[in-house]
Amino acid sequence: MSQQPHVLVIDDEPQILRAVRTILTAKQFRVTTAARGEEGLTLAAAHVPDLIILDLTLPDLDGIEVCARLREWTQVPIIVLSVRDTEKDKVAALDRGADDYLTKPFGIEELLARIRVALRHSAQTKGTGQSVVRSGALEIDLAEFRVTRNGVEVKLTATEFKLLAHLAGHAGRVHTHHAILTAVWGPEYAEHVEYLRVYMRQLRKKLESDPDHPEILTTEPGIGYRFIADS
Amino acid sequence: MPVVRMALAIVAVAASSALLFPLRPYIDTAAVALLYLLPVGLVTAGLGQGPGIVAAVLSFLAFNYVFVPPYYSLRVLHADNVVALVVFLVVAVVTNQLVGRTRRSLELATEREREATWLYELSAALMGVTDPEAIAQIVSHQVQTICQPTSLELQLRVDPDGRVVRAALPARVAPPAGRPSVSIPVQGTRGLLGEIALWMPGGPLSSSQGRLLGAIAGQVALALDRARLAQAESRARVLEQSDALKSALLSSVSHELRTPLATIKASVTSLSAGDVDWETDARRDLLDAIEEEADHLNHLVGNLLDSSRLEAGSLTPERSWNVLAEIVRAVLVRMRTTLRNHRLEVDVSEDLPLVPVDFIQIEQVFANLLSNSAKYSPSGTTIWIRARATGPQELLVEVENQSPPLRDEDLGRIFDKFYRVTSADTVTGTGLGLSICKGIVEAHGGRIRAHNHPAGLVFSLTLPLLSGGLTLPPEEVA
Repeated sequence: MSQQPHVLVIDDEPQILRAVRTILTAKQFRVTTAARGEEGLTLAAAHVPDLIILDLTLPDLDGIEVCARLREWTQVPIIVLSVRDTEKDKVAALDRGADDYLTKPFGIEELLARIRVALRHSAQTKGTGQSVVRSGALEIDLAEFRVTRNGVEVKLTATEFKLLAHLAGHAGRVHTHHAILTAVWGPEYAEHVEYLRVYMRQLRKKLESDPDHPEILTTEPGIGYRFIADS
Repeated sequence: MPVVRMALAIVAVAASSALLFPLRPYIDTAAVALLYLLPVGLVTAGLGQGPGIVAAVLSFLAFNYVFVPPYYSLRVLHADNVVALVVFLVVAVVTNQLVGRTRRSLELATEREREATWLYELSAALMGVTDPEAIAQIVSHQVQTICQPTSLELQLRVDPDGRVVRAALPARVAPPAGRPSVSIPVQGTRGLLGEIALWMPGGPLSSSQGRLLGAIAGQVALALDRARLAQAESRARVLEQSDALKSALLSSVSHELRTPLATIKASVTSLSAGDVDWETDARRDLLDAIEEEADHLNHLVGNLLDSSRLEAGSLTPERSWNVLAEIVRAVLVRMRTTLRNHRLEVDVSEDLPLVPVDFIQIEQVFANLLSNSAKYSPSGTTIWIRARATGPQELLVEVENQSPPLRDEDLGRIFDKFYRVTSADTVTGTGLGLSICKGIVEAHGGRIRAHNHPAGLVFSLTLPLLSGGLTLPPEEVA
């Protein structure tokens, strides 16, 4: 990564483009903007950015389509922007390869936090990949199948570990119900959200200091879950 | 039965002749001629014109043969007897014609009366019927009664979608393959509306049946036109109502949207004016106000969208198994600025049964109930959120606040659209929030109501658990 991370913003609303460009430039990012899907795809191919911010409602292409076409050739992190009434599209975009999402209207601190997580995650996957993930008192050794809390080993069932490893392996990133169920239980269980609910409850009881206010395994309302690792 | 009637005519003449025969020596031929007119008249009146003519001719012959000298011969000797015979014949035939005509007009009048009764019954039966299916049923049964066809089929085109309604008798039997014996078009004011087809056992219809069918077709056309008008009218009424709702919405919304915009605009312009060096605290206050009002606007727009979706009937829940505690947690994060002047006590266990609900919609229900509670209860008071399973099939959720008690008539109506307990100027709100809650909860198969509590107001809602569809994963050991 160069000193100044390069962010490509694809959004058809000039006000959003102006605001995001101003703020991100002030935060030492290099910003390119595109108002149309095709234009965004061309710009991304000509000069691969470090991160893409993608609006789902574009005049020419569907944002989900743009997401899928980018994923055909690049693993650059994609943060999807959407409005509240397109939950379905949001999940679809995440399932088609987007890394994260933000609901409009959003606070700029939230956007910056998501950008930081996505950039860090992409730097990790480019490198050798970490086998040990830490979050507060929790330490997960993905290679050794070991979970400790304050140095004390936590006993997990096979499925619990598989679930935790899946979330922690892509820490900071939002995982949709569908994607988690497919990865952990198999495609035939993709709609069994109740499995996920039961196991998340068990995991939180074992891992969180206050299971009623989880800080490690957080819920993305209506979308899925996220593992919050130490930065 | 004409044979019987003819026989009766013959018997009548024979009987009269037998009765008159003994009187032959005592009465003259002119009187006999008059007496013979009696059976002729009675037969014509009672049995019809044909038997009447037969009776007239037979009487003429019997009179001539038996009573006019020379007896037992058809010859006539005296001129006055010829006159008597001729006059008899003329009077008999004329009487016959007159009686016959009267009879016919009586029959005709009776038939017309019957037709009129049928038509009256039909129009009475069709009165107020606006469903084309029902119209077709009523009419086909009436036609069945009148014409007695072996089979009948009724087809009606229904405006405006061109849908065709069919009725056939006997029901559930396909009409015969051949062409119908009769088919009568149903002609409305705006073109052909359908047709009535009959398969008759005998030949074609009688003229009166044909006339009746024509009149019935007219009635059907009228009924269909009436149905169309009634539909158009009810559509117009619905449009009018939704128009009234829309203008209420617009006036309420424009006020509601402008209030936060005014705050935002005022704060931003003060901050960017540059002529005042804002204290850090004052600056913070202005910025907080902007953020708060922006969130408030977002909440309003969400409610507007939900409301229009509810109205369009497109707010169908996308259910999945959810943990109620997670929904509550998400809404508390989202509503933190709105709720920061109130104390919150949450008693929603993680271990409650999973609920099959639409996460986003139920979150919106909580958001609206909490926003309502925060608005109407004094700051510094407590808002409670509680949930418990009241049985294997139901979860009871309560949101309680310490707002002043409501009047009984308000309790029933606060879930109505645009219903405001206080006047619009004192507390902000569109009057949409609670109506959306009701819409969403009912779409989930639950109920919502509000009741006064010694310390405040309680919103309680139920959510069905439908535990039948839930398959839990098998237990594992660590």
